[in-house]
Amino acid sequence: MNAATILSSSISFALAALSLGLLLTVLRILRGPTLPDRVLGLDMLVAIAIGLIAVLAIKSGFNLYIDIAIALGLVGFLATVAFARFILARGLSPEKDAGAGLPVPGAQKLKRGKSARRNKKGAR
Amino acid sequence: MTGDPDMLTAVAVSALLVIGSLFSVLAALGLLRFPDLYTRMHAASKAGTIGSGLLLLAAGIHAMDIAILLRALAGFAFFVLTAPLSAHLLAKAAHQAGYRLTNLSVTDQLPQPAPKSRPH
Amino acid sequence: MTFLAVNLLLMLTWAAVSGSFTVHNLLLGFAVGALSLWLVREQFAAARLRVRPLKLLLLVALFFKELSLSAIKVAILVVRPNMRLRPGIFAFPLSLTRDFEITLLANLITLTPGTLSVDVSDDRKTLYVHALDCHDPAAERRAISGGFERRIREAFPL
Repeated sequence: MNAATILSSSISFALAALSLGLLLTVLRILRGPTLPDRVLGLDMLVAIAIGLIAVLAIKSGFNLYIDIAIALGLVGFLATVAFARFILARGLSPEKDAGAGLPVPGAQKLKRGKSARRNKKGAR
Repeated sequence: MTGDPDMLTAVAVSALLVIGSLFSVLAALGLLRFPDLYTRMHAASKAGTIGSGLLLLAAGIHAMDIAILLRALAGFAFFVLTAPLSAHLLAKAAHQAGYRLTNLSVTDQLPQPAPKSRPH
Repeated sequence: MTFLAVNLLLMLTWAAVSGSFTVHNLLLGFAVGALSLWLVREQFAAARLRVRPLKLLLLVALFFKELSLSAIKVAILVVRPNMRLRPGIFAFPLSLTRDFEITLLANLITLTPGTLSVDVSDDRKTLYVHALDCHDPAAERRAISGGFERRIREAFPL
């Protein structure tokens, strides 16, 4: 057991775990059921991507990656804040039934964006 | 072999890598398993932050350069400062928009704002 | 003088982040720090506060302890096959009055085990906290007011 093997095996472990994490988060984003859930998934996606970039920085030896991770963190934070403002402004209307955390059938989910836009037009 | 500085940093970096990635994957699992938005937020804002923070710290230590380590620490501090802010904003927005808590919930003492008519 | 101290701190942060401690870079950092302080000068002038450094250090230590405990607790909760959650939002009566203290408390609460601050009432007297285990709100309230709230009050005396 020398230093290099320990490091490379733990890097492999970390990469595998983070990939699994990304997969689980994408599953949550696809499943929804509500818009805030998806926004939270996006936030988590950014957090895991930052971790992934840090691991890549170790694996490749390019320390520049750390700056990229920090920049990604900034952008992700701003994106989440903007989405939160958007949720506040938009309100609940298009998905009233989904509030209790129950899964929404897939067909309804795919049409959600369109129907929301239509609702807004109707209100005007 | 022990006491060798190379070995020491390798072990420290490996431990941080393993622990950080475990926290990240558990946060993602929590995102999937918890019943509603508010409980999911617990997983994302705590375990997620710690996970990516530890990984960043591992990268900083591995570089063996004080400037890089300081940069990684600054990034870590930044995540720890912003994660609760975004969680709080999202929770507040969701609650004000009217997304309800899960049926398992025992109490909700935050008054729901009266539904306003949206401006055109 | 606080302004100068903060500016110097910003300069050092700049040098650390940009990764070089040359005189030119330090001067540039000082200029950028002064510029950013000038941008927030009104908020900064309002917040003239006294700090007890030792108590602040205690607060930071408590924070990191609670943060690691909280991450471990959530991680354990996630892998448990049968999550027995009793989530809910409880109201926490604030005894802190200044805005930055409330912000600090809300952030600290979010990063501690099982609690997440959701909202502050308009009159800034009540903090609404979401808890993963909310069957005993009174105990949670006691824990917050005896822990973080007391430490914040000690670190930033009026």
